[in-house]
Amino acid sequence: MAVGPDRITFWFGCNVLRHAELIRLSIMLLERAGYDVSAAGGPAYCCGTAHDHQPKAASTMSGRTVSRFNEAAASEGRGTVVTWCPSCHMHMADIMSPGSTAKFDVAHVTEMLADSADRLAPLLTVPVKRRILLHRHLGFRTHVPVNDRVRALLSRIPGLEIVEGPAQPGHMCSSLAAVPGALAVAAGETWDAAVANQCDTVCTIFHTCHRELVALEGRQNVHVRNWVHLIAEAMGIGASDEYRGWRNGGAPDVAAIEKAGERNYNTLIEPELRKPSPLPGSA
Amino acid sequence: MKLPPARCETTEAYLAEAGPHLASLCTACGACFDACPMVRYSGLAGADAKAVAMGLRQLAVGETANPDTVAWVGVCAKSGLCRSACPEQSAGLDAMLLIRIARQRAINDTRQLKPKYDQMAFPRVKTFARLQLTDEELAEWL
Repeated sequence: MAVGPDRITFWFGCNVLRHAELIRLSIMLLERAGYDVSAAGGPAYCCGTAHDHQPKAASTMSGRTVSRFNEAAASEGRGTVVTWCPSCHMHMADIMSPGSTAKFDVAHVTEMLADSADRLAPLLTVPVKRRILLHRHLGFRTHVPVNDRVRALLSRIPGLEIVEGPAQPGHMCSSLAAVPGALAVAAGETWDAAVANQCDTVCTIFHTCHRELVALEGRQNVHVRNWVHLIAEAMGIGASDEYRGWRNGGAPDVAAIEKAGERNYNTLIEPELRKPSPLPGSA
Repeated sequence: MKLPPARCETTEAYLAEAGPHLASLCTACGACFDACPMVRYSGLAGADAKAVAMGLRQLAVGETANPDTVAWVGVCAKSGLCRSACPEQSAGLDAMLLIRIARQRAINDTRQLKPKYDQMAFPRVKTFARLQLTDEELAEWL
């Protein structure tokens, strides 16, 4: 099948599966921007970036994923893989494609949407009366100017005031979580900047930042939203952030826990939801 | 973005080839270390940047490096400032990739660094997926 410029594979990665609404809303935004979207992610589409200790396994995983995207390009004409996760994006550009023939292009979701901002802007009809602090990182701009792209998109939202937060090390908060003390400093500096700038919302760009910072939801009357949530809000689309609720004392309903497996929930999920927040001394 | 053409048949082969190549381009000037915002978390503030960078070259070819280099590559968070700070970037040296390869070699070859890997990461994300996705989404996306 001939490759079409509007036919894409949305490769959302693994860990954003904690935030299903971010996947669904991203697909919706890409579709509103005019793309025919097929979504793919999870361990079956692993990039291998987290497997530095298993080079052969990482190589097999990344080769398999490239093959699947090549197949989507050949059989469905999906010639662009659109990423969400910066780790996946960088791994594809720097390591996967030099090690496997990739018959597709790669773009980040924020690039695709920012390029379609004129098409999306008329849909942003609901004023979002928030003053946000944009939580930024230094990394990934080696590949995509993501902070600028998100700011460009958010600037189209009526009523929204944007303050740029201090750029934190790393490409997202998960890269800091593995380094003792680093995540607490990043979270603390972000929160302090939000309060100092009279912001009512911290806006995350990536899922792992969102995962960490939602534990601070409501602290000093500052709330946490992802940029996708804010665009949806401006479109009048309600988007429940279940992870944020679970991380702040809520829990999935019984049917969902049964579907996921009660034992898995108790051993794998609940400990994460109940872990301390990234800021010492906060609830 | 157009992806670069494949240079090898697997990523494992590519990384094995890229390490010595990048090491050969590195002059161990230390600009990468000086630019790194994670140095503050490595306990290496004030360390000899050139000596740390020299260790990168050693690790990238599978040789044991000094403990300072190992500590530094162990806290890499992919900030990427090393890449633009490197004076050899125009010659083809991707400092961030060199550091990544050095870290891999410190884990797998010289065994100076313990891997940080959550064995339950995949089971955990699969469980999160089953908590939230519909059967159709599970079937189509994963």
